[in-house]
Amino acid sequence: MNYSKTEMQAYTIARMIQKDQVVIVGTGLPLVGAIMAKRVFQPSCTLVVESGLMDFNPIEMPRSVSDLRSMSHCGVTCPPYRYLGFQANELIQDSQRLIGFIGGAAVDRYGNVSATCIGDYHRPKIRFPGSGGANGIASFVNTIIMMQHQKRRFVEAMPYITSPGWLQGPGSRQVAGLPANRGPMAVVSDLGVMKFDEQTKEMYLAGYYPFTTPKCVQDNTSFHLDVSCAKVLPEPDEEAIHLLRQIDPTGIFLNE
Amino acid sequence: MNKVYSLHDAIERYVQNGDHIAIGGFTTSRKPLAAVNEIVRQGKTDFIAEGGPAGSDWDMLIGAGRVKAYINCYTANPRFSNVSRRFRAAIEEGNLLFEDYSQDALMMAFHGAALGIPYVPVKMMLGSGLEVNWGISAEDRMKIDKLPNEKFIIQNNPFNPEEKLLLMPTPRLDCAIIHVQMASPDGTCRILGDVYHDVDIAFAAKRTIVTCDDLVSNEVIRREPEKNTVPGIVVDAVVHTPYGAHPSQVYGGYDYDKEFYLAYDEAGKSDESFQAFLKEWVYGVEDHSAYINKLGATRILALNAVIGFGYAVDLEKIIGEEAGK
Repeated sequence: MNYSKTEMQAYTIARMIQKDQVVIVGTGLPLVGAIMAKRVFQPSCTLVVESGLMDFNPIEMPRSVSDLRSMSHCGVTCPPYRYLGFQANELIQDSQRLIGFIGGAAVDRYGNVSATCIGDYHRPKIRFPGSGGANGIASFVNTIIMMQHQKRRFVEAMPYITSPGWLQGPGSRQVAGLPANRGPMAVVSDLGVMKFDEQTKEMYLAGYYPFTTPKCVQDNTSFHLDVSCAKVLPEPDEEAIHLLRQIDPTGIFLNE
Repeated sequence: MNKVYSLHDAIERYVQNGDHIAIGGFTTSRKPLAAVNEIVRQGKTDFIAEGGPAGSDWDMLIGAGRVKAYINCYTANPRFSNVSRRFRAAIEEGNLLFEDYSQDALMMAFHGAALGIPYVPVKMMLGSGLEVNWGISAEDRMKIDKLPNEKFIIQNNPFNPEEKLLLMPTPRLDCAIIHVQMASPDGTCRILGDVYHDVDIAFAAKRTIVTCDDLVSNEVIRREPEKNTVPGIVVDAVVHTPYGAHPSQVYGGYDYDKEFYLAYDEAGKSDESFQAFLKEWVYGVEDHSAYINKLGATRILALNAVIGFGYAVDLEKIIGEEAGK
């Protein structure tokens, strides 16, 4: 294997982005993958970020959603409320082109994500920075969730939901007042790609990497995963690996 | 009208104990950190803090014990401190009254405040912990005049009763503090790049303090009014503060100081080391000029943005690659 696990992840993300999509992408591996998609697979995609930078394509890796590296040469620097208006209007107009990447500390079988705390909300064992733009993205937009694959991160129960997934299963988004036709589409981890069953809204294993197995994915997940449809995902070739390393030459995200 | 003050006088006069304050900028970008240092130095305290996309600004004020209630949506110096450490410690140790909102909802609330409207209907936070859990209970809210008695109210859209809405109360800010690239003595401001929520909080607050990298004449800033976004009539104090956002970055001006942020992260690991950091970089430094001198000319110059990029680039590497295309 002449590529790293993170390079496999970034490559997988790049291949998930589709023609003409508008991609809400902050930093991290999704940004590496999205830049690769824009350069190679889907030049028609557009990158936007929650601080309001619309149509950016950085030549140097940004560290945060407000980094000048994303601001430089972007299309328009909108104030954040304009970005939110865009996100909301895409839903009102039933546009299908918007997709958002979000992260967090843990995810449950319905794709609910926590980025606020572990333990009691008022007196947590571990406190995280908070929602940022993720709650809004998860409310309005189809999402792809990024998560390190560990049992303590793929959890049975989610006491505090920062970014709503399919909540408690079929129909529950509508009850909560959220659009029922938006929600998590996939989870990309360092072990594979999970998707959600159309009927039950439960997570299942859709793909695994050449260096993982369905059993390994299940062993690192706290709840039962249907692995019966899982297929091995294609690995990056020499050219793709070279390009990924060009995009993030100092390994800000690829070496994490 | 001349609104130019020294940083000391601007903070002394326009920041009061107990103020409901919002700070401009975004995590590690265009944060008015010289002003924050001066607030800490002067001992002002008991703030109702509108965090917005916060970084070391509010983390420092929390760590210095100046925050009475913290309205959070995100507090981090991304890739330096993925969770701001004093913010995290204060919550984990039960020493901070705090509330959580979605960032978009807070940004809409700031915009609503700038428009002078009492609340903004949004559709975020529904079904999440942000709806279910209130950091500050209704009972505690009653005791704090500056906070609304409800975190939000959920109501159906009167025009479409099937639609559930979350009504976000807009804050009534006493004070806004922003850092801009350019301002003139009458308070007119020019922000280059993303304005974030800065224009909104400047319009919304009773008092607005502006720190600027460049102070230019009222006549010069009016030659290109299309580039100006904050009129002097909503500004109370203008402070000429070169590198006043350090260690954060300013588009077209200077980049973040990575070493400083890493040192800040290290210092935040305990209250003891954090207080020592404050002693070294805030209390032990007379003013912003002394702070800049302490950093040193070489260090500051290395942060300067390169024309055409807006940030500091490794000239040989990046421009070389561009030229090679």
